Amino acid sequence: MHAFANPTRFLSLARPLTGWLGWAGAVLALVGIIAGLTLTPRDYLQGETVRIMYIHVPAAWLGMAGWGGIAAASVAELVWRHPLAAIAARATAVPGAVFAAICLASGSIWGRPTWGTWWEWDGRLTSMLVLFFLYIAYIALADASADRGGGARVAAIFGLVGAINLPIIHFSVLWWRTLHQGQSIGFTGSTIAPSILWPLPLTTIGFTLLFTAIILMRMRMLLANAKLEARQRRMGGAA
Amino acid sequence: MKAKNQRLVLTLAALGALVAAALLAMSALRNQASFFYSPADALRDHVRPGQAIRLGGMVEKGSLVREPDGVTIDFRVTDGAASVAARYTGIVPDLFREGSGVVAEGRFVAPGTFVADTILAKHDEKYMPPQIAGSMHETKSLKP
Amino acid sequence: MIAGLIRRDARRGLRAAGLPVAFFLVAATLFPFAVGPDARLLASAGGGMLWLAALLAALLPIERLVAPDADAGVLDQLAMRGIADETVAAAKVAAHWLGFGPPLMIAALPGAALLGLDGATLGRLEAGLAIGTPALAALGVTVAALTVGLRGAGALAGLVVLPLAVPLLIFGAGALMPGDGQALKLLAATALLLTAGAPFAAGAALRALRE
Repeated sequence: MHAFANPTRFLSLARPLTGWLGWAGAVLALVGIIAGLTLTPRDYLQGETVRIMYIHVPAAWLGMAGWGGIAAASVAELVWRHPLAAIAARATAVPGAVFAAICLASGSIWGRPTWGTWWEWDGRLTSMLVLFFLYIAYIALADASADRGGGARVAAIFGLVGAINLPIIHFSVLWWRTLHQGQSIGFTGSTIAPSILWPLPLTTIGFTLLFTAIILMRMRMLLANAKLEARQRRMGGAA
Repeated sequence: MKAKNQRLVLTLAALGALVAAALLAMSALRNQASFFYSPADALRDHVRPGQAIRLGGMVEKGSLVREPDGVTIDFRVTDGAASVAARYTGIVPDLFREGSGVVAEGRFVAPGTFVADTILAKHDEKYMPPQIAGSMHETKSLKP
Repeated sequence: MIAGLIRRDARRGLRAAGLPVAFFLVAATLFPFAVGPDARLLASAGGGMLWLAALLAALLPIERLVAPDADAGVLDQLAMRGIADETVAAAKVAAHWLGFGPPLMIAALPGAALLGLDGATLGRLEAGLAIGTPALAALGVTVAALTVGLRGAGALAGLVVLPLAVPLLIFGAGALMPGDGQALKLLAATALLLTAGAPFAAGAALRALRE
């Protein structure tokens, strides 16, 4: 666990990894999107609008996975006080919020032609919106408390509390009757025809790799900032 | 009492509260916090005429009738157990069709007769190309 | 000693209860101006408006829940005497509710009259508030402990509380409709969850504060 605790060691790994993951992710996502726009058939009911899926599903997954990552890093921070945990959580918050917003926006655009509405307050949509608000609150709280003693732990507590929302989002379509349809892809298979489905893993994996690269990039930035801050303080103290 | 014991007592109390919360939620889940009423629920719960609700179900096969004015439609919403007559004036979403899911926002004007202000189409979690759909796909019921 | 802490905090809360209560009533009287004086509209939407006003009123006391004790070193004293942070947090939740919940429920009576709610709806509103205000108090203490001493703590607290309070608002407002009490049960489940979790989250925050 503490093998990567050393920031130098982490950086020597993260620096090359950022580029590899970023490029691989961008290529995969691009191939998936082009394939989804040109090679797959229309849906029998929705027609062309079904292609929004290739953006919407990865965005929803990363919006939720981002908070999952924040929660995991929060545990690492609270239990083991892993020195990189707080930085990882802070680095994840902004891209997570962006993907949650993409999920909401693409869902809204998808909902208009299929359901006939931009927005409805059903269980799935509401809980996803709450996740977006939680991200905003987390970013504000983490930023405000970053330079205070015990600040990282404060953000970690909130990250853990907010994780209650994840199962609510996931099970909302099962627990309540919602406008949002049920789950298409489960462990046992999928209700999406293979000819429509196949680009989806490409964009999902692609965006996930891209997401990881962005997090690594942001972690490096936060580490560099902290280093700069420390040097500034030392110089100030010496002068 | 030592700090450790205090924590233990609080943890036990919290676990008790969690169990109670789970029991309460399980006994309450299903109907409330639903996005819409099914026709059977609406008839069973005696939803008051005039109260704004959402009614969801399938558009009954063969029930869709367009009025002479061209923009008013009559149809029946069914959940397999009960069915309710509904009327709507306006433009419906593309996905609104017989045998497909619908959520209608509006109110009962009389028991069993619903007037919708808004029509939303609800589709299921299946996606497939048209040529497959033609031969095998038919939505039987809308999973609540 | 814990009882003393609760007594002191509750007394302090009651003395300062005028602020949230007055805010609650003022906010409630603003709604008719915002949506127009249509009595039927007010009667149907008034309960939800009162819930919203209660939620906003719950944000007001947050800044004075933990910060004064943290500044004065009271929290360090309590920790040194072997009182767990979780116990302190639980005591603070109980005390905050005593100083906040009942005054709010009393203020809901004139609030309901101003908005023209009927008696049955008022009853359901009061039942919902009785169940929901402990959870609001729990959220308030938790977020107070999280935001002690931060820049713009008040605005930050609002940003953090509101998404967490969404289920309370949904089920609280849902319980205003005549029904078979399902929404009230869900409200109770949510409130139990929040109230049970609060001492641990707030306690951990208090511990982080002392570092």
